Amino acid sequence: MSSVGIIANPASGKDIRRLVAYATVFDNNEKVNLVRRILIGLDALGVQKVYFMPDYFGFYQRATDGLTGQHRLALETCLLDMPMEFNQADSRRAAALMAAAGVRCIITLGGDGTNRVVAQGAGEVPLLPISTGTNNVFPVMVEGTIAGLAAGLLVTGAVRPDQALVRSKKLVIYINGRPADSALVDAVVLTDRFIGSRAVWEVDKIKQLVVTRGAATNIGIASVAGGIRHIRMEEPLGMHLEVGDDNAPLQVKAAIGPGLVRKVPVARYQLLVPGQRVTVLENPCVIALDGEREIQVNRGDRAEVELSPAGPLVVDINHTMSTAVAGGAFLNKTPAGGV
Amino acid sequence: MLEMTYAQAINAALREEMQRDGKVYILGEDVGVFGGCFGVTAGLIDQFGPQRVLDTPISETAIIGSAVGAAAAGLRPVPEIMFMDFMAVCLDEFFNQAAKMRYMFGGKARVPVTLRTVCGAGVGAAAQHSQSLEAWFTHMPGVKVVMPSTPADAKGLLVASIRDDNPVIFIEHKVLYVLSGPVPEGEYSIPLGKADIKRPGGDVTIVATSMMVHNALAAAQTLAGEGVEAEVVDPRTLSPLDKDTILESVAKTGRLVVVHEAVKNSGFGGEIAAMVAEEGFDYLDAPIKRVGAPFTPVPFSPHLEAAYIPDENKIITAVKEIM
Amino acid sequence: MALTKEEMLVMYRKMLLIREFEETVANMFSQGQIPGFVHLYVGEEAVAVGVCSNLGEQDYIASTHRGHGHGIARGASVDKMMAEIFGKVDGYCKGKGGSMHIADVELGFLGANGIVGAGLPLAAGAAFANKYLNNNGVAVCFFGDGASNRATFHEALNLASIWKLPVIFVCENNMYGISMCQERHQNITDVADRSTAYGIPGLTVDGNDLMAVYEAAAEAVKRARAGEGPTLIECKTYRHRGHFEGDACVYRSEDELNRWKMKCPIKRFGDRLLEMGLAGRDELDKIKEQVKEQIESALEFARRSPLPDVSELTKDVYCD
Repeated sequence: MSSVGIIANPASGKDIRRLVAYATVFDNNEKVNLVRRILIGLDALGVQKVYFMPDYFGFYQRATDGLTGQHRLALETCLLDMPMEFNQADSRRAAALMAAAGVRCIITLGGDGTNRVVAQGAGEVPLLPISTGTNNVFPVMVEGTIAGLAAGLLVTGAVRPDQALVRSKKLVIYINGRPADSALVDAVVLTDRFIGSRAVWEVDKIKQLVVTRGAATNIGIASVAGGIRHIRMEEPLGMHLEVGDDNAPLQVKAAIGPGLVRKVPVARYQLLVPGQRVTVLENPCVIALDGEREIQVNRGDRAEVELSPAGPLVVDINHTMSTAVAGGAFLNKTPAGGV
Repeated sequence: MLEMTYAQAINAALREEMQRDGKVYILGEDVGVFGGCFGVTAGLIDQFGPQRVLDTPISETAIIGSAVGAAAAGLRPVPEIMFMDFMAVCLDEFFNQAAKMRYMFGGKARVPVTLRTVCGAGVGAAAQHSQSLEAWFTHMPGVKVVMPSTPADAKGLLVASIRDDNPVIFIEHKVLYVLSGPVPEGEYSIPLGKADIKRPGGDVTIVATSMMVHNALAAAQTLAGEGVEAEVVDPRTLSPLDKDTILESVAKTGRLVVVHEAVKNSGFGGEIAAMVAEEGFDYLDAPIKRVGAPFTPVPFSPHLEAAYIPDENKIITAVKEIM
Repeated sequence: MALTKEEMLVMYRKMLLIREFEETVANMFSQGQIPGFVHLYVGEEAVAVGVCSNLGEQDYIASTHRGHGHGIARGASVDKMMAEIFGKVDGYCKGKGGSMHIADVELGFLGANGIVGAGLPLAAGAAFANKYLNNNGVAVCFFGDGASNRATFHEALNLASIWKLPVIFVCENNMYGISMCQERHQNITDVADRSTAYGIPGLTVDGNDLMAVYEAAAEAVKRARAGEGPTLIECKTYRHRGHFEGDACVYRSEDELNRWKMKCPIKRFGDRLLEMGLAGRDELDKIKEQVKEQIESALEFARRSPLPDVSELTKDVYCD
């Protein structure tokens, strides 16, 4: 059966970057509309079933309640039966349950942070990440209907996985030798003591930076690496940077957040190859993963970051759509027709 | 003496108080460039700028609420509520906040807000723009209620209201805005809580407020032609009420007619009548009469509206009933 | 600016002081020693302390019916607060206000408030006064998710946004307006969403994380002092006790309550202080001991204070 999972994060697009940067509140009723458009796209390609993660806002109920009458769908929708903790672990567990239920793609609505935890639960189930967060490198800005169509093409077999998917990388964070967490885009070592409001916006607190990718077009800390060298998602490379002071040999101007262009002094940087580990030099410190402070490293703890080639599979929307077009997936020729 | 209208007198009081005290500011709907719905604040924005004459959105709750907060924080706001009827949408800010703060906080807050607003029928403004609701506010401990009837009173009482450290509701009458009259030159104020005898007389006391003072004076004039000398007392401030002046007048005349434009039922006239009955019963030679509007909303049609407003004849009839 | 150890311990102490104060009030109330009714702040301490730790002398706060925490966080005397709650003459309001009207304008505390949502325009006004007087002061209004449905919320945010008032609107979203859970009283879950309608920044933080609240408030205060206007901060939190003391809480589950108790803001911050080695267990225990003594002495102060003389009944209605 062709089925898809949808994990929408009601908390994305509301953090302190609305205040310290010029990020916009992404209101949840707009995300509901986005979910409806995704469902319509999936339905149009004959996807049979969609699983939803329960959440405090109630995306499932709200989105499906609005799809009646002329917008009634043929596909079946259901809510995962799972206990909620109302934190990011919910997304991780939901992704694992969806994978176990046999979904062939998980569509996420959120930012880098949302995808980070979904990827931790999704295993080899590909992700189609839609940006509704703030510092988004991993998810893409895409219209919901198109996202639904792209996912539909993949899960119904209209486009083969090897044509639709790209393997991404990830970072694994080790504390005292044990894997503690992971990131999809970047891990940033901060002189902070607290997770606090989670976001990262004060450059002078940044000591080290490890990225799986980087482009000058990225918004977020990864743009610092991107300002030095473009590293693509699928390229078997990463980068490690140590932040210096005003006398550092390199000053990188980067868009570290929406409306936040900062000059970041770089003391040294190195390219990383898969499997390579970087030692965190600051202690105690806080490590931010994909734009959010997550790990508090206490005095005496040893923290390391490793570049891993085993990141989640990601739907390449453009390639999927163009492959589909080339194969005539959207065409329905009538007998009398002729172009 | 200068000759000026009631509206000009209010404008002059605002201007003088704003000149005198930098903490006085005006806020309200269309009080700036537009000069106020009745032109009362005209020109003030030119003199004092938009920092002290603030046009607000149509947000009565925010107008009064912010004024109360600013007053507690040391300013002397003079908010305007365009029509008294609109007090119904922001009453809490005045009634539960401004009026009670000092008492609730054990005497440690000052809320010097002078809320200017407009009452009265007579211009075809119908049921939601014509009411006289002063009795609501005389029922609020902590609030002072002022209702001037002449340009001179309006100026002197507004000056006193702005200087008063208590929340004051200053109720203007829209028909009176164009009334012209003598106003003393220079700075002066009229103490709150002091009534004024607008016409002396020994046969009957007519206590009248706001616009009704003028109808009472007209009635008194007619009655004088018939040999009845009416004394017209204008309390000017309803809370606190100058009981002494009213009681002294009744002691002299033995008869009392109370006139207000508000509906008679539960109107402020009932308070005056009850006060005289309690404290001056022995002075009375006849029952007390009240003249007020019928217990209906204010009608629109000029014909009906004229029938609604207590006029000279109704006052004369009431007087004659007890003579 | 990184906080010093001392500053962190002061915040920890304040949260504990609120907790201890409230638990003592609950205890006294259940014994029938406190008249009227009380709304307690247990569980929400990080919001008041996180926000008020960013305020200075010129600043004002406007509070709610659940206002004890705000007062303590602003630096009010627990002696005078307790005496007020007991209706005694040495209370903040000589016993005339009670729990819902504790105020100290001198301290920049515009009062708890018995009317839900009333503080929003008051705070906007106090912020206006600070702007008018050009003293660099700001104003903060605390209010709940329930109040965000009131006209006062919308009018105050609108006015503050057009006048760029230095005010921080702090929504303590404890998920209930008395018995009505948020799902039943508004068609949104994040009150911060409403900021977009007024063109001001709005954000949501974990209201049980002291540092999350502190950081958000620090930035909002900085923004307000810089003349950039108001901010709406939504703090997701939970009241451990009922709407008022004596509330049987039939509208929520034990499970839900226990889940939130696990997220106790005081324990979380205390644990982090220990983890970081910024304070030892004995140091935190000592603070707790001192706080207990302080509240015991406040209780003693309240008990010993006389009842107000009946002559007080008609005083303080008007200024002379």
